[in-house]
Amino acid sequence: MKKLNLLLISILFTIVSIAQEKFTISGNITTAESGEELIGATVAVKSLGTGVSANVYGFYSLTLPKGTYHVTYSFIGYDEQVKRVELTSNQKIDMELSEAVNEIDEVVIEAEGAEQNVKSIEMSVNKIDAKDIKKIPALLGEADVIKSVLLLPGVSTVGEGSTGFNVRGGGIDQNLVLLDEAPVYNSSHLFGFFSVFNPDAVKNVKLVKGGIAPEYGGRLSSILDVRMKEGNSKKFTGTGGLGVIFSRLALEGPINDKTSFIVAGRRSYADVLAKPFLNEDLRGSRFYFYDLTAKINHRINENNRIFLSGYFGRDVFGSGFAFNWGNATATARWNHIFNQKLFMNVTAFYSDYDYSFGLDDNDPNDDFNWSSSIVSGSLKPDFTYYLNNKNTIKFGGQIIYYDFKPAEASFASDGQTSSLSLPEKYGNESGIYAQNEQKIGARLSVLYGARVSHFRYEGDREQEYFEGEAGLRKEVKSETLNESTLYKANIFGWRPSYRNYKSETNYTNFEPRLAINFSLTETSSLKGSFNRMTQYLHLISNTVASTPVDLWLPTTNNIKPQIADQVAIGYFKNFKQNKYEASAEVYYKDFQNQIDYIDNADIFFNTQLEGDLLTGDGRAYGLELYVKKNQGKLTGWISYTIARTERQVNGINRDEWYPTRFDRAHNLSVVSSYELTEKWSFSANFVYSSGTPATFPTNRYEIQGVVLPHNDQDARNNYRIPDYHRLDISATLTPKKNKDRKFNGEWVFSVYNVYNRRNPFSIFFEQDDADPRVTNAVRFSVIGNFVPAVSYNFNF
Amino acid sequence: MKYILFALIAAVTFSSCEDIIELDLDNGKNQLVVDGFVNNDSSIQTIRLTSSAPYFSNVATPADNDANIRLIGPNNTTYNFISDGNGNYEYDPNTLGAIDSIGFNYKLEIDYKGNTYTSSSILNPVPVIDSMPYAFEPSGFGTEEGYYTQFYARDFGGRKDYYWIKPFRNGEPVYEDPTFIILSEDATFVGDSGDGLVFIVPFRAIITDQSNPFVLGDTSAVELHSLNESAYQFLDQLVNSSGNDGLFAVPPSNIRSNIFDAAGNPQDEVLGLFSLSAISKFEVIIE
Repeated sequence: MKKLNLLLISILFTIVSIAQEKFTISGNITTAESGEELIGATVAVKSLGTGVSANVYGFYSLTLPKGTYHVTYSFIGYDEQVKRVELTSNQKIDMELSEAVNEIDEVVIEAEGAEQNVKSIEMSVNKIDAKDIKKIPALLGEADVIKSVLLLPGVSTVGEGSTGFNVRGGGIDQNLVLLDEAPVYNSSHLFGFFSVFNPDAVKNVKLVKGGIAPEYGGRLSSILDVRMKEGNSKKFTGTGGLGVIFSRLALEGPINDKTSFIVAGRRSYADVLAKPFLNEDLRGSRFYFYDLTAKINHRINENNRIFLSGYFGRDVFGSGFAFNWGNATATARWNHIFNQKLFMNVTAFYSDYDYSFGLDDNDPNDDFNWSSSIVSGSLKPDFTYYLNNKNTIKFGGQIIYYDFKPAEASFASDGQTSSLSLPEKYGNESGIYAQNEQKIGARLSVLYGARVSHFRYEGDREQEYFEGEAGLRKEVKSETLNESTLYKANIFGWRPSYRNYKSETNYTNFEPRLAINFSLTETSSLKGSFNRMTQYLHLISNTVASTPVDLWLPTTNNIKPQIADQVAIGYFKNFKQNKYEASAEVYYKDFQNQIDYIDNADIFFNTQLEGDLLTGDGRAYGLELYVKKNQGKLTGWISYTIARTERQVNGINRDEWYPTRFDRAHNLSVVSSYELTEKWSFSANFVYSSGTPATFPTNRYEIQGVVLPHNDQDARNNYRIPDYHRLDISATLTPKKNKDRKFNGEWVFSVYNVYNRRNPFSIFFEQDDADPRVTNAVRFSVIGNFVPAVSYNFNF
Repeated sequence: MKYILFALIAAVTFSSCEDIIELDLDNGKNQLVVDGFVNNDSSIQTIRLTSSAPYFSNVATPADNDANIRLIGPNNTTYNFISDGNGNYEYDPNTLGAIDSIGFNYKLEIDYKGNTYTSSSILNPVPVIDSMPYAFEPSGFGTEEGYYTQFYARDFGGRKDYYWIKPFRNGEPVYEDPTFIILSEDATFVGDSGDGLVFIVPFRAIITDQSNPFVLGDTSAVELHSLNESAYQFLDQLVNSSGNDGLFAVPPSNIRSNIFDAAGNPQDEVLGLFSLSAISKFEVIIE
């Protein structure tokens, strides 16, 4: 009996001590100047050695036992704030942080945000602040988000003129590029020379290359999460610039004390400027691009906030024959705080990516037009539950509905018209996920969870192909039409219709994710991660650089989902009180169902395209070294990657492993910025990468007077073109800020490719003009000279 | 069309450049090459045999005179091609008649160094050219002033046809560049929907060189050759591999031949093409 009582009492004590009261402080962290949310700002209680980071909406939640604490709010580049909190009940504490003023005489600012490199569970992540983007000298003086991302470890391209980028050995379609949660299919204007993101409107850019958390899915190699500003909620301001190729203007401000907006636009005007100089027949030619972002956000009450945004961008080029492509997205988001611990964001977006080309002469009797588009709509609820200060749980899901119109062509000849289209395809992609980020003991944090993804293909028909000889075009064995139901509506005269196809083709994939952070010392840690990713959308392109008219196709009964497994391990260390951050990471990736093409594949307008596709395995591995200096007059980073990426596809290269087109063994970027005085600052960057692989012939033969190349080993990518290296510099002149004047400006002088190197994009072979018997190897360079530019940036 | 776009970008924005460079390539083995374009005309038909050579050999590839070539027609008629000592094997239609059984699947046999290589091709029909009107045009964007001719012909409806259009000026090809090969699928660039149509404008007008149109006294002529599918694919790939450069190049790849070793040994593979065409011709004198 006594033993039982003792037991009961001790149980009671345990319950009481467990039930020691805990309360939660939560709120939003914003900047004092503009009211923008500070993504990733830290809230820490040093005496307990505990803390949390604000999420992408600036919201944080920290649960502590009852007591009195000094809570420190900080973010890199901002003055930290310490608040004394007597915690006897749940409290809402919003905090505004002010930008740190840069003193010329090197006062070291304790920015605790910098220790995230070591402390955060995230590995294989690089973040770029909007200010860093503007400091990097760029082509024609136009600061660019994607060009800055290219300077990070693990990221490369095949050269100027490529519309996308490659991360850790993945193709350009394996990056999920998000603009405020909505995906962007083609992130560039003008063939990759400029990205679609207006740097004046960008707040924060995060690139996740590995250790990808379960909340992200849909692409194999990376997530580029671009967040635009919400709009200054304190005062009306404007920023803009005049450049050589295009100009930009961004206006933002409060509408009332609960609402703010931002509108940012850019347009190129090479065509307007050139018009008076063109001769008459060229006057009708058009070449321009523009993009416009418009956002408005409204705080309904303490617990509810809504955001509406739209992005529209377009490129038009042509004279007599025009190309036209663009993205348009409309997004609506709702933040809802259920209680101090449970935060929810629901995003709904609509996106329309279309591209077309055709004759531009308005003659209905002789005409030609081809167009393609992807329209998608999605709903995405995400929840974050701050269980306690050792566990943060996230769960949610996404459903995306796709409508692919792979090709529609119409043409008229001598008055007779005809039209042809590839059948429309639909797809339904969905996913649900759950994850927990848990602190175990003093040194270990683990993020574990999984995503379950599903794709249903709903096309009007399913084709089956004969197996045939590997590497040759497969012929169609059968084509089955799917049953469908047509739904129609009549809404005050608007009659939308939607045909739902019944299809048996669907795939489900389980994607486990794990990330571990083990603290070695206060300033160093060891991190490891594993992730499995699945991708249901595929970019079909067999050209060296992708063209804007490359085709996006969904997974079908013939094209299986792509899968990648990645393991990464890294060592992270900060030096000199977070003045320097450094990391070394090693990764290995295994790919399945990678798409390649038969020799002489017919990609353009082929109703039996799937017969020209081949699939195989891929593998990529590498070492990434990175060191960054955050403070002082001289700032910048050095990143060096040594890596390999290859494929094995039956029917190509005699069934042996071959390097992919974007395999670059060495990749070095040195980025630096020096603030000489308040007036003058200078930047320079240097990049070096190994040459890309190319397929070269071994023999020649003649047919009908034409000399043809032949490779007697049927090899693919058997050679490498010469290396790529380039130096860019820029100088920024900021005249003294006159406190009374609202309008401020700065001049930026830049030179791209300073020492004039003709970096080879490709090497091709052709018959000599003078003597057709002679063949020449020709090196093609996209930019062959140095390119100077002047631009003027202003704000008011 | 990709080329036009790229040229525009380059002109507007930066100067990209092309430089000839020195390269060292591995040399592969030499193989037999067959350049076998035969048609139903009454002129002498030639099949040329050569050998492939290292890529930068920069001279005419060596001729091969050691073969026996014959074509098997209806009723087992054998048309023998005789070497002229210079790699050109000739057949004179005045002997056994022109090779003109439309619809028949002719077989080609080549005996070479102990191996026999075979191929076959159906002689596809070709539409008659109805007319070739011409008119004087003043100069315009990218075009010079002069006489512009067009040809009118209608593709056969109900079947997939491939054609090679060869324009001539005073007996010589209008376009000197041998890689400028004009091919059509039915009456247009793109498949089925050109079926049964009159050849569309770009093809009708291509027979006049816009930078050098005809003058009074010139003879403008056009030959329309029918092709079978494998010949069309070969020529299409030939054109692609010659213009394969710039931003949008595709990885170069070997062009498959339609001539096979009868015994099936891969190391005795032959390069090149056997193509049999029916021709229709038309010409007009500008006066």
